[in-house]
Amino acid sequence: MPAKNFKINLAPFMSNCETTREILGAWLDGELVPAQAEACRLHVDACAACREERHKLERLHSTMQTVLSSSASKVQFDPFWQGVQQRIAQQSKWYDELGDWIRGIFTAPRLAWAVPAVIVIVLAGLSIDSFLPNAKLGMQPDNLATVESIDAYGRNVALLHEGETNTTVIWLYQPQESENDSSTEPSESKPSF
Amino acid sequence: MTRLRNLLKASLLSSLLLLAVSAEGAENGSKPVQVKIGTILASNESDEFDARLKPMERQLKVMKYRSYRLLKEDSQSVPWNDNATFDIPGGRSLAVSPQDSKDKQIALKVRLTEGTKPLLDTTVRLQGRGYFLLGGPPHEGGALVISISASAQ
Repeated sequence: MPAKNFKINLAPFMSNCETTREILGAWLDGELVPAQAEACRLHVDACAACREERHKLERLHSTMQTVLSSSASKVQFDPFWQGVQQRIAQQSKWYDELGDWIRGIFTAPRLAWAVPAVIVIVLAGLSIDSFLPNAKLGMQPDNLATVESIDAYGRNVALLHEGETNTTVIWLYQPQESENDSSTEPSESKPSF
Repeated sequence: MTRLRNLLKASLLSSLLLLAVSAEGAENGSKPVQVKIGTILASNESDEFDARLKPMERQLKVMKYRSYRLLKEDSQSVPWNDNATFDIPGGRSLAVSPQDSKDKQIALKVRLTEGTKPLLDTTVRLQGRGYFLLGGPPHEGGALVISISASAQ
């Protein structure tokens, strides 16, 4: 481990017990730069209280090391690791995958985006006429027509609405003499609705 | 908290979309109307049925003629309350004026004239993309049938 350069004012070389105890652990772990380590050692050698502190720390390190070493040997890593490998290797069932997929769909972020998506689809369906007025999309046009007024200037006129095909016809009966094109069959201008 | 934030985002997005669609709908009111005219000769001189009239076959056969032939088709973009004039065979003309739009229905004022003589004035409220038929004027041994449709652009 690289030596740490603690930003502590060491002059006049660890005369202060409080400062020494702050870096005592780092010194024991060999993390101080040589000058700091030497200053710390000199103070500890000269100060009984700090020496006692050093012994306490050394005993704590020793105890922890012993406990951890003995506990680690009791942990059964092999069965645990075999279980992990088995889970990785096994083929998941189709219904598990389906369940995962459904859970994925109904998680909050996706559901939040599904709401505007559904609204967009519905609005697009409702307003398709506005955006594509000439698109027929396989639908028959609704021929519903309401005749609000008719003025045939004295001529006969018939208004027919045929419900089955939703057809509205305004039929104007014109006298034949007004036709520019000569017609040989006067009855042709009269439909038989 | 994250879920609430996502739902708020979704609601905001939906509201913006609704506004956009509403704005589009509002704009439609000022756009011109596409008026489409089809002039058909109905007669009993043959059994011919023009294939181009197939989509409206059931509607035309209400009139019980044996033969239907499409003579001409014409389409014009007409501003609201303005007039578009279509030439109809036999020296006639058809003036169409879109009046207003209500509940997706377009009111059309239609005037059929022969020369300078008016034959018929009518106002018809049409469902969007739908059409009505105006028939009767004699022509070439049969009768003219005019299909009139209008759609907001």
